[in-house]
Amino acid sequence: MKMKVEFKLNGANVSVFAEPNRRLIDLLREEFELTGTKEGCGVGECGACTVLMNGRAVNSCLVLAVQAAGNEITTIEGIANGDLINPLQKNFLEFGAVQCGFCTPGMVLSASALLDKNPDPTEDEIKEAVAGNLCRCTGYKQIIEAVKETARLSRKN
Amino acid sequence: MIPSLNVIFPKNLNEALSLLSDNSDSSKIIAGGTDIIPGLNQELNRFKEIKNLIDVNQIPELKGIIRSKEKISIGAAETFSDILQNDTVRELFPLLWKAASGVGSVQIRNRATIAGNFVNNAPCADSVPALLIYNATLEIESLSSKKEISLNEFLSAPYRTKLNRDEIVTKINIPFADKNFTGEFFKLGRRRAVAISRITLALLVDWRDSVINEIRIASGAVTPIGARFFELEKYCSGKKADDQFKKDLSRKLAEQIIKVTGLRWSSEYKLPVVQQVCYQMLKNIESQHEYGI
Amino acid sequence: MSEEFSVVGKKIIREDGVEKVTGRAKFADDYKFPGMLHAVMVRINEAHAKINEIDFSALENEPAVSIVSASDVHGSKKVGMIKNDQPVFCSEKVVTPGDVVAMLVGESESKLRSLLPEIKIDYTPLPVLTDPEKSLNKNSVLIHPETGSNLIVHHPLRKGDVEKGFEESDEILEQTYKTQLIEHAYIEPEAVVAIPLGFSEGIKIIGSIQNPFTARKFVANVLNYPLAKVRVQQAHLGGSFGGKDDTMCILSARAAVAAIKTNRPVKIKYTREESVLESYKRHPYILKYKVGYNLNGKIKAMKIDILADGGAYASMSPFVTWRSVVQASGPYEIENVQTDVRAVYTNNPYTGAMRGFGSPQPIFAQESLMDEIASRLGISPDEIRRINGFKNGSVTATGQILKDHDVNLKKVLDVACGNTDFITKWKSNRDQKIFSLKYDPSNPILKDNQFIDPPENIRKGIGLAVSFRGCSLGAEGIDAASAYLSVQNDGSIYLDCGLAENGQGLRTTYSIIAAEVLGVSAEKIIYLELDTGITPESGPTVASRATLMGGSAVKNAAEILRDRLINLIKEEFKLGGEDVISFRDDLVFSRKKGLITKFTDLCKLAASRGINLSAIGWYKSPKVDWNEENGQGDAYFTYVYGCQIAEVSVNVSTGEVYIDKVTAVHDPGKVINKLGAEGQVYGGVTQGAGYGIFEEVTADNGFIRELNFDTYTIPTSMDIGEIKPVFVEGKENYGPWGAKSLGEPTLELTAAAIANAVSNAVGRRFYSLPLNLEEIILNKKLRPAGTKRGSSL
Repeated sequence: MKMKVEFKLNGANVSVFAEPNRRLIDLLREEFELTGTKEGCGVGECGACTVLMNGRAVNSCLVLAVQAAGNEITTIEGIANGDLINPLQKNFLEFGAVQCGFCTPGMVLSASALLDKNPDPTEDEIKEAVAGNLCRCTGYKQIIEAVKETARLSRKN
Repeated sequence: MIPSLNVIFPKNLNEALSLLSDNSDSSKIIAGGTDIIPGLNQELNRFKEIKNLIDVNQIPELKGIIRSKEKISIGAAETFSDILQNDTVRELFPLLWKAASGVGSVQIRNRATIAGNFVNNAPCADSVPALLIYNATLEIESLSSKKEISLNEFLSAPYRTKLNRDEIVTKINIPFADKNFTGEFFKLGRRRAVAISRITLALLVDWRDSVINEIRIASGAVTPIGARFFELEKYCSGKKADDQFKKDLSRKLAEQIIKVTGLRWSSEYKLPVVQQVCYQMLKNIESQHEYGI
Repeated sequence: MSEEFSVVGKKIIREDGVEKVTGRAKFADDYKFPGMLHAVMVRINEAHAKINEIDFSALENEPAVSIVSASDVHGSKKVGMIKNDQPVFCSEKVVTPGDVVAMLVGESESKLRSLLPEIKIDYTPLPVLTDPEKSLNKNSVLIHPETGSNLIVHHPLRKGDVEKGFEESDEILEQTYKTQLIEHAYIEPEAVVAIPLGFSEGIKIIGSIQNPFTARKFVANVLNYPLAKVRVQQAHLGGSFGGKDDTMCILSARAAVAAIKTNRPVKIKYTREESVLESYKRHPYILKYKVGYNLNGKIKAMKIDILADGGAYASMSPFVTWRSVVQASGPYEIENVQTDVRAVYTNNPYTGAMRGFGSPQPIFAQESLMDEIASRLGISPDEIRRINGFKNGSVTATGQILKDHDVNLKKVLDVACGNTDFITKWKSNRDQKIFSLKYDPSNPILKDNQFIDPPENIRKGIGLAVSFRGCSLGAEGIDAASAYLSVQNDGSIYLDCGLAENGQGLRTTYSIIAAEVLGVSAEKIIYLELDTGITPESGPTVASRATLMGGSAVKNAAEILRDRLINLIKEEFKLGGEDVISFRDDLVFSRKKGLITKFTDLCKLAASRGINLSAIGWYKSPKVDWNEENGQGDAYFTYVYGCQIAEVSVNVSTGEVYIDKVTAVHDPGKVINKLGAEGQVYGGVTQGAGYGIFEEVTADNGFIRELNFDTYTIPTSMDIGEIKPVFVEGKENYGPWGAKSLGEPTLELTAAAIANAVSNAVGRRFYSLPLNLEEIILNKKLRPAGTKRGSSL
């Protein structure tokens, strides 16, 4: 039986009916057409489905849709707060941190959650923050540089 | 595909316990869901009978980390990320902190709960050896009873515990040690992050003038479930902690593992490695102790 | 000759970057259509079995479910990249557990999956062949009986006289090497939608497809349609690395058959487990090398016998092993070479194209061997390579003279050694105390002298590997590409090329090339989506050929348009025929008169004069030739050279290898796309490192143990230290400004360099990839019984 689920999605209050066996990723992709959230493994290993739940990175394939109730969910579509791209996304472009782009939304969200709570991360902290986001194209180097630069610029401002 | 089921969100412990007592055969508690949700999705046998999931994330009685005079009490539904942010855990239970830091990825640690880790009781559950070595005890409640038992007693077999179907683990209590322990936690996986443990070892040693006063040893992934080695610990007390002792202890640990586990496909690799690692951990602990770290 | 570039070699942001960082880029599974149905696969849980009957009667009360099987295929029932040996739907037998016998098609994917257990399949199990070394035995079961043998292909190569060479050698060394089955592990699992367009227009396919033109050919064959009635549009591709070729072609064909049958759009979307189960992988090789050399370090003769496990289907095995036969003796001048490479059928997961394509395996063997020879002769690894390595004018094992480009093997070696202080480090590591850790399997309890005191358990090592690599397809087949370029009245530009973007950034590289020729900024160029209905065919995105082949076609198209504009300028502005016109910074200059006009104004003018500002560029590769009988000929028209040096820390008590640093020195010719080129190195080295130290798909009786990323571990952000790309831009006659290949060279060397580094650290050699925990400690692999793995003990 469907349950009513009310939560905050990318800043807006939303209310939907969802089957209890539906995963958050499916709700986001199918109900809200937020297809920036990707499914790579379905078991919480690849991080392509990463979204922010109350500011923390979680795998949306490991969260039931009904568990979103009362929480604040941010997807890649909501990360720039209405702008086209935010400084972190801009640095992903500047540093060549994007190749095929399938892991990119999850990667941006994980990095963004890190920078929100730690504006001055070490390289090891950056690596740890994105260790749950597998990337097969980039070897992570340009991603790490992009995050580092974003932190540096935001400290300067 | 996750089979169709109900998810119920009790607001307090009593409500959760009532739900459990009514439908205990077909109900299962879900907290972080990092084992259950992929398990349901892959239709694992272990999760076949589940009709109701009881989500305990909104139950205040299962939350919070409280430090009292003689112990720290961790709410069963605290996530690994919450535990990593707790100063008492970091300072006084560094092995638990280190074990928590190696669980999955940030995304997993943001959801996975400490109780979920040992209630699931996979052989490779990282928090288990760390909790065992600190003599953690569990508060367990049902509608009709309330009890506290040691984690060691609680864990019965791979993916099995002594938790009855109408019970909930509410708190994990870890007593402050009355000893001057120095210790280490070791995890070995196939890669450096987000790795299933191949071997975990936890060691705590209290030395007095290079004589062992007390030693505690726990392991994971080399025994069918995470385990303490009480016999071995007894053998150690009063021994002079020279190199020969460290080697002997490491060998005896391997012998104990063979006794408990038997020889498996991986033994040819794991047994020599466990001995090397145990020996090196003892050496490292000794040098930390010497330098008063 | 030093050319001044405005865009080439500069940092240029990807043309699809904003779509990708905002999550708007549409990948195959992001497409939805009204009335779209889903298809799920019906499989038999067997590695080898004869199908007697498939009983769908349990579905009789499910009118909303369509069954699609071999009887619905009106064209070719079997397909393949080279040999047509793979059924679209198996009807007679299955030869590997990934095989599909039918599909269920309906509205709800979960409903369809829940019906799968209702289908009753009657089958007779057949003997299962999993050991490639037994494939050619007389009494072994035949995987495809109609072929009469389990041999997929045999490539012989004969140069000089190896037996004479061995006689003239001072020493002979023989070793056997093994490499493992690995998975591409693109993060996006396979997905495709087929949309019926009606009788006259045919069908449209949108999918995570590496090579839309190949997919079109498969779909057309299976539907028995003309090519023009199949339009394949590529969605954004979530990684491929050679892996979304045949698998996706077959999935496209299955979706197409279902779409025609139901007259509705049909989507197939794989879970990760299905993806690993069914998709092809990298070939495991068994490589036997015998080498004769003199005490001065000169190699006299090399005899190589390679066996590749092709698994259940031929796929690209004939071409993968062909590259191996050309390159197996490495970038070394050897008078006498005898190589035999064979690929065979087994019931294992099938193997095909993967980044590297038949080169990482022999490079691991040949570079291990070179280090071993050096150590026997008491010389350093770089020295043995200097003595034997290719230089300008060298003759390869196939008898080809290396010319018309800088043969930069020694240069990349020198630069790499200089960058890392190789010799000093290598010697000091070599002279470390060696632990002889020979554990006794019958008594696992350590002896007193076997315990290692920290920090001596951590050993440093450094190792190098070099390679040469033939660019593009070589003698595999026709090699040509085309591009479409259209300048609009306002100076904005459309660009398209038949080589498909695989995520590596070729569209950006092509935009840079066009921008450079026309002197405009790269953002001016709007790249069109590849659609086989409008884009000219250019062969597949494989073999690191995109920059070289497609880039040349783009340059050609841009030059055609530029020349038209130059003619117009000379006429309009009355410039002499000998004046030189240049295009830079969106402006047009004359050498004599300076600034003439803006590019945008020139375009407006051209439009008003009725000049055609659209062009198709074309590039066809120079001639290559090949003799099948003796493996002699000019195999590829040009080559690239690379040297990688790995620095590692090995924990000799646990077997953990940590890669501290990889210095990757490559001569890809001219670097066009700087960010993209560096990205290729970082990504290729990281994949190569995974191949070197922990990636492995293992199978028990054909059944894969590692079906998801929990057990199939690829490198995370925490697994590799520093990667340092260095480019040595050698001169080259072909390619846009001499740009050649980079994607695969970056990957092929890493595992070999790591293996040599680990040997340097521990004083022992390794003959079997990956160098995982057990290999380092025991020099062997351990496997659980059955398919359980993960947390099991």
